[in-house]
Amino acid sequence: MQAAIAAPDTGGTRRPGLLGWLLMAPMLLWLIAFVIAPTVILLVYSFCQRDDLGQVVYTFTWDNYRRIFIDSDTGEFGTIYFTVFVRSVVYAGLTTIICLVLGYPVAWFIGRAPESRRNLLLTLLMIPFWTSFLIRTYAWITILSTNGLLNGFLQYTKLIEEPFDMLYTPGAVVLGLVYSYLPFLILPIYGSVEKLDNSLVEAAFDLGAGPVRAFQKVILPLTQPGIVAGVLLVFIPAIGMFAISQLMGGGTQPMMGEVIQNQFMQARDWPFGAALGMTLVVLFAVVFWFTSRRRGAAEV
Amino acid sequence: MKAIRFLIAFTLLSIIAVPGYGQAKKKQVLNLFCWSEYVPQEVIDGFTKETGIKVNVENYASNEEMLSKLLAGGSKYDLIQPSEYVIEALIKAEKLEPLTLENIPNIKNLDPKFTKLPHDPEGKYCVAWMAGTVGIAVNTAKVKTPVAGYKDVFNGTHKRRIVVLNDSREIVSWALATLGISANDMTPENLEKAKPILAEWLPQVKVYDSDSPKTALLNGDVDLGIVWSGEAAILWSKNKKFTYVLPSEGAHQFIDSLAVPKGAPNKENGEKFINYILKPEVSVLISDAFPYTNPNAEAVKLLKKSQRDNPASYPPGEPKLETFQDIGKAAKDIDKLVTDLKGGKK
Repeated sequence: MQAAIAAPDTGGTRRPGLLGWLLMAPMLLWLIAFVIAPTVILLVYSFCQRDDLGQVVYTFTWDNYRRIFIDSDTGEFGTIYFTVFVRSVVYAGLTTIICLVLGYPVAWFIGRAPESRRNLLLTLLMIPFWTSFLIRTYAWITILSTNGLLNGFLQYTKLIEEPFDMLYTPGAVVLGLVYSYLPFLILPIYGSVEKLDNSLVEAAFDLGAGPVRAFQKVILPLTQPGIVAGVLLVFIPAIGMFAISQLMGGGTQPMMGEVIQNQFMQARDWPFGAALGMTLVVLFAVVFWFTSRRRGAAEV
Repeated sequence: MKAIRFLIAFTLLSIIAVPGYGQAKKKQVLNLFCWSEYVPQEVIDGFTKETGIKVNVENYASNEEMLSKLLAGGSKYDLIQPSEYVIEALIKAEKLEPLTLENIPNIKNLDPKFTKLPHDPEGKYCVAWMAGTVGIAVNTAKVKTPVAGYKDVFNGTHKRRIVVLNDSREIVSWALATLGISANDMTPENLEKAKPILAEWLPQVKVYDSDSPKTALLNGDVDLGIVWSGEAAILWSKNKKFTYVLPSEGAHQFIDSLAVPKGAPNKENGEKFINYILKPEVSVLISDAFPYTNPNAEAVKLLKKSQRDNPASYPPGEPKLETFQDIGKAAKDIDKLVTDLKGGKK
């Protein structure tokens, strides 16, 4: 994905030769087996029904999609899934913005650090990944809970009298999301920053641009591919995330991923879960196509 | 081209090689498909030692997960461990093998309260493993007013201090209980009646958690909750300030049982395992590890006094208990109702 964004102007119509196909074969097989085939299965399921046991019955129906868009009580357009979707977008959007504000300076710092130190800094960034994601989330529960480490510390230092609620709030969900996805934003931006030609920045200064102007007109456009890739890498998985909203949010403010997961597990309604999933996929595809087309038009 | 040929050969080889590996061993085995954190390793090792049968264990975290893996086919299980309403549905769908009771003489040890229940009226298909209830765990250091039923939990004074199971059917059944309606009577009309009650209740909930509701109580994030009795039993054994109350309106009793799915390759080994765990001294090991209600009357006699006194494992008195029955497609309506209300729909 990153490469496609970083180099949109491959131009030409050169077709890959036999060797090219061979080299691509593992990737293509991977895509067919783990992206295309599951999506097709999902698409088929989303038009099916379920039986009493929760098995998928292959009888065509529009019901699953109707349930997403039309309120069965009033017959009007608009359902609870819209609310859940908007909430997911708000959470994911907030997460992306915070990650960007926190992550860009870090990426810049690492990218501009002396080469000998860069690897060390990158390793430090990756170290949290040596621990399982769930364990790191449980660690946050230990820190944020009412009898937890943070409240204990604040009370011990007499900064607060009574412990206050931090866990199981929307803030905790966003914190958890930012914590989990920050490295995914830093890494692609770091890639862009590292490649940035310093002489261009110097030229901007020589031509009389101030630091703000130089950042706006030179640095930002040149690191844009990294920013776009990072934003996508954070925003899209954040919308589908269910573990964090469940563990750190207490499940009271369900996000899209949680609702979909529920259909596959608790409600035993795979077709409806598939319909929700397909709707999300189509939505992402449309947004992606739209933005990439606009970018393409802007470049011409 | 050589590379392709190699790839094809390699793929074919791996397809042939994998099943061949399984067939090479002709040892007696038992494929056990059970809940995680429910079958002590000691029991499995003891069984292998006594019978020489090797046990392959696979775990699941919910009845629904078990069902989908079982129905998908592919894997052949000899013994599964579902809850009562799933047993009923599986019997209805003819997915269970009737047990040969002559192979399970130790069944006589079971308390008659746990045999021939509505989900398996003839007692032909399953044998109770452990039973439990869903009730109210209260942190008495924080909650000073008496809590007797669901209505006391949701009377408005414990707003955002409550943890409940993240299970739509459980939640709806509590609301129905306050109306005196059975948890198995999930008709659209009854759901409509439960709706206003749930609309008032759900905004008061702070945490939905089925896996480990005790965590929020232990960490002090909530003061009371509606949880599995096993969770409450662990809370009580950690700190006596956590009491367990069976709701006066009536409580759900769940019974997890062992059953043999249709087409099981080693049905007899499954029956041997059932017979083994019904031995009182083996059953005690299960109680030691997982303090649910042991349905084995002979084993209960061998338990320590502190175990029998745990109010969450062995509730005193004659509580009003009800088991869940299969409700088929109504599960969909229940999920919709709870999702709507959680999402804040009026």
